[in-house]
Amino acid sequence: MFVWWRDVLRESTLEGHHTKVVQLGPRYGSILFIVSEVMFFFAFFWASSHSSLAPAVEIGGIWPPKGIGVLDPWEIPFLNTPILPSSGAAVTWAHHAILAGKEKRAVYALVATVLLALVFTGFQGMEYYQAPFTISDSIYGSTFFLATGFHGFHVIIGTLFLIICGIRQYLGHLTKEHHVGFEAAAWYWHFVDVVWLFLLVAIYWWGGI
Amino acid sequence: NQIELKTAPADFRFPTTNQTRHCFTRYIEFHRCTTAKGEDSNDCERFAKYYRALCPGEWVDKWNEQRETGTFPGPL
Repeated sequence: MFVWWRDVLRESTLEGHHTKVVQLGPRYGSILFIVSEVMFFFAFFWASSHSSLAPAVEIGGIWPPKGIGVLDPWEIPFLNTPILPSSGAAVTWAHHAILAGKEKRAVYALVATVLLALVFTGFQGMEYYQAPFTISDSIYGSTFFLATGFHGFHVIIGTLFLIICGIRQYLGHLTKEHHVGFEAAAWYWHFVDVVWLFLLVAIYWWGGI
Repeated sequence: NQIELKTAPADFRFPTTNQTRHCFTRYIEFHRCTTAKGEDSNDCERFAKYYRALCPGEWVDKWNEQRETGTFPGPL
Protein backbone atom coordinates (compact mmCIF):
# COMPACT_ATOMS: atom_id res chain seq x y z
CA MET A 1 0.00 0.00 0.00
CA PHE A 2 2.85 2.32 0.81
CA VAL A 3 4.31 1.71 -2.62
CA TRP A 4 0.94 2.23 -4.33
CA TRP A 5 0.35 5.60 -2.76
CA ARG A 6 3.93 6.65 -3.12
CA ASP A 7 3.44 6.13 -6.85
CA VAL A 8 0.15 8.04 -6.82
CA LEU A 9 1.87 10.99 -5.17
CA ARG A 10 4.72 10.82 -7.64
CA GLU A 11 2.37 10.77 -10.63
CA SER A 12 0.13 13.52 -9.33
CA THR A 13 2.16 15.98 -7.33
CA LEU A 14 5.55 15.53 -8.96
CA GLU A 15 4.76 14.52 -12.53
CA GLY A 16 1.55 16.52 -12.96
CA HIS A 17 -0.63 13.76 -14.46
CA HIS A 18 -3.68 14.56 -12.34
CA THR A 19 -5.74 16.96 -14.41
CA LYS A 20 -9.17 18.02 -13.20
CA VAL A 21 -10.74 15.11 -15.03
CA VAL A 22 -8.30 12.59 -13.60
CA GLN A 23 -8.97 14.00 -10.12
CA LEU A 24 -12.61 12.99 -10.42
CA GLY A 25 -11.54 9.36 -10.22
CA PRO A 26 -10.01 9.55 -6.75
CA ARG A 27 -12.78 11.89 -5.62
CA TYR A 28 -15.62 9.56 -6.57
CA GLY A 29 -13.57 6.63 -5.42
CA SER A 30 -13.12 8.12 -1.95
CA ILE A 31 -16.80 8.88 -1.65
CA LEU A 32 -17.78 5.37 -2.71
CA PHE A 33 -15.25 3.89 -0.33
CA ILE A 34 -16.74 5.88 2.52
CA VAL A 35 -20.22 4.69 1.50
CA SER A 36 -18.96 1.10 1.67
CA GLU A 37 -17.60 1.82 5.15
CA VAL A 38 -21.03 3.12 6.16
CA MET A 39 -22.44 -0.25 5.09
CA PHE A 40 -19.74 -1.95 7.13
CA PHE A 41 -20.66 -0.09 10.30
CA PHE A 42 -24.37 -0.52 9.58
CA ALA A 43 -23.82 -4.25 9.97
CA PHE A 44 -22.30 -3.89 13.42
CA PHE A 45 -25.00 -1.50 14.58
CA TRP A 46 -27.56 -4.00 13.31
CA ALA A 47 -25.85 -6.76 15.27
CA SER A 48 -25.94 -4.67 18.41
CA SER A 49 -29.60 -3.75 17.93
CA HIS A 50 -30.55 -7.35 17.18
CA SER A 51 -29.27 -8.43 20.56
CA SER A 52 -30.21 -5.41 22.62
CA LEU A 53 -33.72 -4.51 21.46
CA ALA A 54 -35.28 -7.90 22.25
CA PRO A 55 -32.84 -9.54 24.65
CA ALA A 56 -32.89 -13.31 24.52
CA VAL A 57 -34.30 -15.46 27.28
CA GLU A 58 -30.87 -17.08 27.61
CA ILE A 59 -29.46 -13.81 28.97
CA GLY A 60 -32.48 -13.22 31.15
CA GLY A 61 -34.57 -11.09 28.81
CA ILE A 62 -32.86 -7.95 30.05
CA TRP A 63 -30.31 -5.53 28.61
CA PRO A 64 -27.60 -4.91 29.68
CA PRO A 65 -27.21 -8.51 30.79
CA LYS A 66 -26.91 -9.26 34.48
CA GLY A 67 -23.45 -8.72 35.85
CA ILE A 68 -22.19 -6.40 33.11
CA GLY A 69 -20.62 -3.33 34.69
CA VAL A 70 -21.75 -0.82 32.09
CA LEU A 71 -19.48 2.16 31.40
CA ASP A 72 -21.01 5.46 32.43
CA PRO A 73 -21.74 7.31 29.18
CA TRP A 74 -21.38 10.63 30.99
CA GLU A 75 -17.75 10.01 31.89
CA ILE A 76 -15.11 9.26 29.26
CA PRO A 77 -17.53 8.91 26.31
CA PHE A 78 -19.06 12.30 27.13
CA LEU A 79 -15.57 13.77 27.45
CA ASN A 80 -14.61 12.34 24.08
CA THR A 81 -17.72 13.74 22.44
CA PRO A 82 -16.46 17.32 22.15
CA ILE A 83 -12.95 16.13 21.35
CA LEU A 84 -13.62 14.28 18.13
CA PRO A 85 -15.97 16.88 16.59
CA SER A 86 -13.45 19.57 17.56
CA SER A 87 -10.90 17.64 15.61
CA GLY A 88 -13.39 17.68 12.74
CA ALA A 89 -13.70 21.42 13.09
CA ALA A 90 -9.92 21.73 13.05
CA VAL A 91 -9.70 19.80 9.79
CA THR A 92 -12.27 22.19 8.30
CA TRP A 93 -10.14 25.06 9.55
CA ALA A 94 -7.18 23.47 7.80
CA HIS A 95 -9.20 23.17 4.61
CA HIS A 96 -10.13 26.84 4.68
CA ALA A 97 -6.50 27.71 5.28
CA ILE A 98 -5.43 25.66 2.27
CA LEU A 99 -8.09 27.29 0.10
CA ALA A 100 -6.95 30.72 1.23
CA GLY A 101 -3.36 29.88 0.45
CA LYS A 102 -2.30 30.25 4.09
CA GLU A 103 0.15 27.39 4.06
CA LYS A 104 1.65 27.70 7.55
CA ARG A 105 -1.75 28.08 9.16
CA ALA A 106 -2.90 24.91 7.41
CA VAL A 107 -0.01 22.99 8.96
CA TYR A 108 -0.91 24.30 12.41
CA ALA A 109 -4.56 23.36 11.89
CA LEU A 110 -3.60 19.85 10.83
CA VAL A 111 -1.35 19.52 13.87
CA ALA A 112 -4.30 20.53 16.05
CA THR A 113 -6.50 18.01 14.27
CA VAL A 114 -4.04 15.19 14.86
CA LEU A 115 -3.38 16.14 18.47
CA LEU A 116 -7.09 16.08 19.28
CA ALA A 117 -7.39 12.75 17.50
CA LEU A 118 -4.54 11.31 19.56
CA VAL A 119 -6.15 12.57 22.78
CA PHE A 120 -9.40 10.87 21.76
CA THR A 121 -7.60 7.62 21.00
CA GLY A 122 -5.69 7.87 24.26
CA PHE A 123 -8.84 8.24 26.34
CA GLN A 124 -10.52 5.36 24.51
CA GLY A 125 -7.46 3.21 25.09
CA MET A 126 -7.51 4.05 28.79
CA GLU A 127 -11.14 3.17 29.04
CA TYR A 128 -10.59 -0.12 27.21
CA TYR A 129 -7.80 -0.96 29.62
CA GLN A 130 -9.85 -0.44 32.74
CA ALA A 131 -13.24 -1.61 31.47
CA PRO A 132 -14.86 -4.09 33.86
CA PHE A 133 -15.97 -6.36 31.01
CA THR A 134 -14.17 -7.95 28.05
CA ILE A 135 -15.13 -8.98 24.54
CA SER A 136 -15.93 -12.46 25.84
CA ASP A 137 -18.45 -11.22 28.38
CA SER A 138 -21.69 -12.31 26.73
CA ILE A 139 -23.13 -10.78 23.61
CA TYR A 140 -22.88 -7.37 25.27
CA GLY A 141 -19.10 -7.49 25.32
CA SER A 142 -18.97 -8.87 21.79
CA THR A 143 -21.14 -6.19 20.21
CA PHE A 144 -19.62 -3.39 22.30
CA PHE A 145 -16.01 -4.15 21.45
CA LEU A 146 -16.72 -5.04 17.84
CA ALA A 147 -18.45 -1.74 17.13
CA THR A 148 -16.19 0.50 19.21
CA GLY A 149 -13.10 -1.46 18.24
CA PHE A 150 -13.62 -1.09 14.53
CA HIS A 151 -14.40 2.57 15.08
CA GLY A 152 -11.12 2.95 16.95
CA PHE A 153 -9.29 1.20 14.14
CA HIS A 154 -10.82 3.65 11.67
CA VAL A 155 -9.83 6.57 13.90
CA ILE A 156 -6.25 5.34 13.85
CA ILE A 157 -6.25 4.95 10.08
CA GLY A 158 -7.80 8.41 9.71
CA THR A 159 -5.20 9.90 12.03
CA LEU A 160 -2.43 8.36 9.97
CA PHE A 161 -3.98 9.77 6.79
CA LEU A 162 -4.17 13.21 8.38
CA ILE A 163 -0.56 13.01 9.55
CA ILE A 164 0.49 12.27 6.01
CA CYS A 165 -1.57 15.23 4.78
CA GLY A 166 0.16 17.36 7.39
CA ILE A 167 3.56 16.24 6.14
CA ARG A 168 2.59 16.84 2.53
CA GLN A 169 1.25 20.28 3.35
CA TYR A 170 4.49 21.09 5.14
CA LEU A 171 6.44 19.94 2.09
CA GLY A 172 4.26 22.12 -0.14
CA HIS A 173 2.49 19.34 -2.07
CA LEU A 174 -0.97 20.82 -1.62
CA THR A 175 -2.16 23.88 -3.55
CA LYS A 176 -5.33 25.83 -3.16
CA GLU A 177 -6.76 24.40 -6.35
CA HIS A 178 -5.51 20.86 -6.06
CA HIS A 179 -5.63 18.88 -2.84
CA VAL A 180 -7.75 15.81 -3.49
CA GLY A 181 -5.83 13.69 -0.99
CA PHE A 182 -6.51 16.20 1.74
CA GLU A 183 -10.20 16.37 0.86
CA ALA A 184 -10.46 12.59 0.97
CA ALA A 185 -8.83 12.61 4.42
CA ALA A 186 -11.22 15.31 5.61
CA TRP A 187 -14.28 13.47 4.33
CA TYR A 188 -13.06 10.26 5.95
CA TRP A 189 -12.50 12.13 9.18
CA HIS A 190 -16.01 13.57 9.21
CA PHE A 191 -17.39 10.09 8.55
CA VAL A 192 -15.44 8.73 11.54
CA ASP A 193 -16.84 11.58 13.62
CA VAL A 194 -20.45 10.80 12.67
CA VAL A 195 -19.96 7.11 13.44
CA TRP A 196 -18.73 8.11 16.90
CA LEU A 197 -21.93 10.04 17.53
CA PHE A 198 -24.01 7.04 16.51
CA LEU A 199 -21.89 4.80 18.74
CA LEU A 200 -22.37 7.17 21.63
CA VAL A 201 -26.13 7.13 21.34
CA ALA A 202 -26.75 3.51 20.35
CA ILE A 203 -24.13 1.65 22.33
CA TYR A 204 -22.86 3.76 25.17
CA TRP A 205 -25.99 5.59 26.13
CA TRP A 206 -28.95 3.49 25.00
CA GLY A 207 -27.13 0.19 25.37
CA GLY A 208 -26.40 0.83 29.01
CA ILE A 209 -29.82 1.89 30.17
CA ASN B 1 -66.36 -36.55 37.94
CA GLN B 2 -64.94 -34.74 34.97
CA ILE B 3 -61.16 -34.30 34.72
CA GLU B 4 -60.47 -30.64 34.15
CA LEU B 5 -58.04 -29.95 31.30
CA LYS B 6 -56.65 -26.44 31.41
CA THR B 7 -53.60 -24.59 30.32
CA ALA B 8 -52.23 -21.10 30.79
CA PRO B 9 -54.57 -18.48 29.34
CA ALA B 10 -53.66 -16.65 26.19
CA ASP B 11 -51.73 -13.52 27.14
CA PHE B 12 -52.02 -10.55 24.79
CA ARG B 13 -48.45 -9.55 25.74
CA PHE B 14 -47.28 -12.59 23.80
CA PRO B 15 -49.37 -12.86 20.64
CA THR B 16 -46.83 -14.85 18.62
CA THR B 17 -46.66 -18.56 18.01
CA ASN B 18 -43.31 -18.66 19.81
CA GLN B 19 -44.32 -18.61 23.47
CA THR B 20 -40.80 -18.73 24.93
CA ARG B 21 -41.06 -15.28 26.45
CA HIS B 22 -44.48 -16.11 27.87
CA CYS B 23 -43.05 -19.16 29.65
CA PHE B 24 -40.04 -17.19 30.88
CA THR B 25 -42.16 -14.30 32.11
CA ARG B 26 -44.49 -16.60 34.06
CA TYR B 27 -41.50 -18.37 35.62
CA ILE B 28 -40.07 -15.04 36.74
CA GLU B 29 -43.47 -13.84 37.95
CA PHE B 30 -43.82 -16.96 40.11
CA HIS B 31 -40.46 -16.43 41.75
CA ARG B 32 -41.04 -12.74 42.27
CA CYS B 33 -44.35 -13.65 43.86
CA THR B 34 -42.78 -16.13 46.29
CA THR B 35 -40.08 -13.59 47.16
CA ALA B 36 -42.72 -10.99 47.90
CA LYS B 37 -45.37 -13.12 49.56
CA GLY B 38 -43.43 -15.99 51.06
CA GLU B 39 -42.54 -19.46 49.85
CA ASP B 40 -45.79 -21.18 50.79
CA SER B 41 -48.26 -18.51 49.75
CA ASN B 42 -51.32 -19.66 47.85
CA ASP B 43 -51.42 -16.58 45.68
CA CYS B 44 -48.42 -17.83 43.78
CA GLU B 45 -49.94 -21.16 42.83
CA ARG B 46 -51.57 -19.52 39.82
CA PHE B 47 -48.23 -18.50 38.34
CA ALA B 48 -46.80 -21.90 39.15
CA LYS B 49 -49.54 -23.64 37.16
CA TYR B 50 -48.98 -21.26 34.23
CA TYR B 51 -45.25 -21.75 33.95
CA ARG B 52 -45.50 -25.50 34.46
CA ALA B 53 -48.03 -25.67 31.64
CA LEU B 54 -46.03 -23.52 29.26
CA CYS B 55 -42.39 -24.34 29.87
CA PRO B 56 -40.50 -27.45 28.77
CA GLY B 57 -39.34 -29.45 31.76
CA GLU B 58 -35.69 -29.22 30.75
CA TRP B 59 -35.78 -25.43 30.81
CA VAL B 60 -37.38 -25.37 34.26
CA ASP B 61 -34.75 -27.80 35.56
CA LYS B 62 -31.95 -25.72 34.06
CA TRP B 63 -33.33 -22.48 35.49
CA ASN B 64 -33.84 -24.02 38.92
CA GLU B 65 -30.25 -25.16 38.91
CA GLN B 66 -29.10 -21.70 37.83
CA ARG B 67 -31.05 -20.14 40.65
CA GLU B 68 -29.41 -22.48 43.13
CA THR B 69 -25.90 -21.67 41.94
CA GLY B 70 -26.69 -17.96 41.68
CA THR B 71 -26.17 -17.83 37.93
CA PHE B 72 -29.76 -17.24 36.84
CA PRO B 73 -29.60 -14.29 34.42
CA GLY B 74 -33.15 -13.05 34.76
CA PRO B 75 -34.52 -10.23 36.90
CA LEU B 76 -35.90 -12.28 39.81
